[in-house]
Amino acid sequence: MAAVVHKVSEKLFHHGSQGNREDHSASAHDRQDSGVERAREEEKRALMQWEEHKRPLSPGQVHSDPERKMVGHSSNVLRQEDFELVKTLGTGTFARVWLVRLSNPRQGDENKVFALKILRKVDVIRLKQVEHVRNERNVLAAVAGHPFITTMVASFQSLDSLYMLLDYCPGGEVFSYLRRARRFNEPTSQLYAAEIVLILEFLHEHEGVAYRDLKPENILIDAEGHLKLVDFGFAKKVDNRETYTLCGTPEYLAPEVIRNTGHGTAVDWWAFGILVYEFLVGQPPFWDQNPMKIYEQIVEGRVRFPSAMSPDARDLISGLCTVDTSKRLGNIQGGAQTVKNHPWFRNIDWNALYNRKVNGPIVPHLRGPADTRNFDEYEPESEKREAYTKELSNEWDDYFKDF
Amino acid sequence: MAASSLPSDYSNEISALNREILKAQPADTLQFCANFFLRRLESQRAEFLLSQQHSSPKGRGMAESTFPGNNPFGTSPSGGFASGGMHRLQEEDENDTVASPTASTFAQADMDRAHASSAGEDTFGNFAGFGGPGKNRAAPPSAIGPVDPQSFPSNYNLNRRTSVSAESLNPASSLNDNWSPPYHKKSSDQQSRLKAAVSGNFLFSHLDDEQSAQVLGALQEKPIPTKGIKVIQQGDVGDYFYVVENGNFDIFVNKSGKLEPGPDGLGQKVGSVGPGGSFGELALMYNAPRAATVASTEQSTLWALDRVTFRRILMDSAFQRRRMYEGFLEEVPLLSSLTPYERSKIADALETKKYPAGTTIINEGDVGESFYILESGDAEVYKRGVDKAVKRYQKGDYFGELALLNDAPRAASVVSTSEVKVATLGKNGFQRLLGPVEGIMRRNDPSKASASDDIDAVDPLAKGA
Repeated sequence: MAAVVHKVSEKLFHHGSQGNREDHSASAHDRQDSGVERAREEEKRALMQWEEHKRPLSPGQVHSDPERKMVGHSSNVLRQEDFELVKTLGTGTFARVWLVRLSNPRQGDENKVFALKILRKVDVIRLKQVEHVRNERNVLAAVAGHPFITTMVASFQSLDSLYMLLDYCPGGEVFSYLRRARRFNEPTSQLYAAEIVLILEFLHEHEGVAYRDLKPENILIDAEGHLKLVDFGFAKKVDNRETYTLCGTPEYLAPEVIRNTGHGTAVDWWAFGILVYEFLVGQPPFWDQNPMKIYEQIVEGRVRFPSAMSPDARDLISGLCTVDTSKRLGNIQGGAQTVKNHPWFRNIDWNALYNRKVNGPIVPHLRGPADTRNFDEYEPESEKREAYTKELSNEWDDYFKDF
Repeated sequence: MAASSLPSDYSNEISALNREILKAQPADTLQFCANFFLRRLESQRAEFLLSQQHSSPKGRGMAESTFPGNNPFGTSPSGGFASGGMHRLQEEDENDTVASPTASTFAQADMDRAHASSAGEDTFGNFAGFGGPGKNRAAPPSAIGPVDPQSFPSNYNLNRRTSVSAESLNPASSLNDNWSPPYHKKSSDQQSRLKAAVSGNFLFSHLDDEQSAQVLGALQEKPIPTKGIKVIQQGDVGDYFYVVENGNFDIFVNKSGKLEPGPDGLGQKVGSVGPGGSFGELALMYNAPRAATVASTEQSTLWALDRVTFRRILMDSAFQRRRMYEGFLEEVPLLSSLTPYERSKIADALETKKYPAGTTIINEGDVGESFYILESGDAEVYKRGVDKAVKRYQKGDYFGELALLNDAPRAASVVSTSEVKVATLGKNGFQRLLGPVEGIMRRNDPSKASASDDIDAVDPLAKGA
């Protein structure tokens, strides 16, 4: 199986080592380097074929060298002009995600769409997120092909922007479904939670990556009703070293992050407990209008459960939301397997789930692959933009050179 | 159209409505009817959801078609929320189920309490307490837009939550650049006042003595020469936390979310803070916009602490302690085959304890539970029948490690001769993290395996090896 994928990948994305990164100056563009143009056309064609080869890779296959996989490579020929920006799917403080299709699609390719995440270098620098953005790109490249993680098909950059071309998840955010339904019933919560367990198991135990921003807003539903984890802005390869930068979402922060005693992959298990609670109850266990009061509750770590919550669910959440990391489920001996073995997951067939053979509980209604009805409307992009000056470029472009 | 041809559900609803109308004699009939059906809808939906929760059917979960009535997910316009009925359901649901789950009003039976909002005289009486004068209550369902957090009794903000992030802190470089926290001298009076002022704040109450001394030392005096000085401004970026030494400050909140120009720009006064009080603590976490404006009402003095200094003090001491523990652990022969990853997990789990001089830390003959590393101070080892100490322990020495391996009684007593600080971990904690220590020992000494066959049976590590 792996061999097949690799062969296809070489055929589709053969860019070898000959290509120096394209010179982005205008004169270089004018020169109409025919070699680059040919590579660019080839790459665009390859993008259009990607869909047909899409299927879950085994953890070992995902783990292979990104440059040898069909997806996740850094392209030195793609440009923003290759894509038509159709609609904004989401915005962040320094990024905007667009639904895109090829600018001049061939017949039959008109409906092949992607999500393109565009980051302005100047904003990334101003918000001190350079390291986070580099982490994001590298982690996404490494994990591309996992069945429940957004696939970064390719990344590229222009003079002033960074681009990540991602698969489009037409179902929208789990967040929207959860808020509309108020809460999920137990079977739905179990299935979604189980897919998240598979993601965390893979990230932690195969990649040494802590995700650090688990929440319903960052989980999308794909066309088949399965989950895709997106936004790896805080993901970091930590391996066996603890890390200290506070990041995440207030309600989901683990106590050790708040106390700055050093944190690792265990923060994701804490957040996972909060997530399961929010699925079942409709809001997270620790909340107050004043964020400091949230943090006070978190470091105290007393979770209160509604009486209708099943004993198994309580036991799971209590195990995950344990302040002492040496007692936290998922972080103790056995890792993710201990979570998978928990009675709350007794109805889950883990193998079938990984291979997407289990039906998703909510399958989005779609008119077609490019339907955006499940995404909210966002304000148009502000016209005024800070310039990425020569000085900035001299100082920072080195940090982006592998993007 | 004969009444008999109408669905019986419909007839039941209409006769219920007729009864209500007769009873209430409403002035605004149309509004009354609209309210009635909304209430019916939410109550029916709520029952359904609750029954789903309790019965948890196998197979399909929350698939669209399992919902009675119209499809809660299907027909929503792009970007909007689902039907108004769903919203009303959410509101009522919130009302008598989960308030803030950590709030004192969060009764045990809340989740079970049925949606017994049967015909009240005032349909929206339930909600009078929240969301102002009920202007959005009367809106027809189609007009209910994206969720208005104001209308939720628990005040839980149902909007997308923004991620937060502080400056990236990198301990590796701190070793090279030899950072040490700023120190601003204070009188012992000031010191103890400051200590008292921050003692109620959970960010400070977890600090150990050294961290606490460093943090208090780093607080910098900031004189406020006159009244009317805005120390922090609502909406601005926040970098500093303040403790009031003397003087007084008023706190203002402008509903717009930020300080506005003009005489009313401060917004409403919501409180004041005097000596021993503090404000701006969220700035110690990350850079969030200030939630209020704080202005002096007289000449005052503040102590200020910035986020990077605070978090760096915490990080550096945690980082150094972890590396020190890892270093100590490397010296323990029993644990010599731990991988760096495992060592870091154990270092993370080690608990610091302090004992005064003369404390018996372990007692000969007791069953051993924990192992100890001496972090600072000195201790002596005594054996029964021997008058003098048989051994002395100093920083970095470890003892009691056999407790990780078996339940044999302690072979000697260890008594502190000065104030000591130890890092300790119990057998249970060790096994929780890494499994039985036997398996770990056997990694570099295969001969042990044959010597203790009985251990193999319980040792998960033996199988994979």
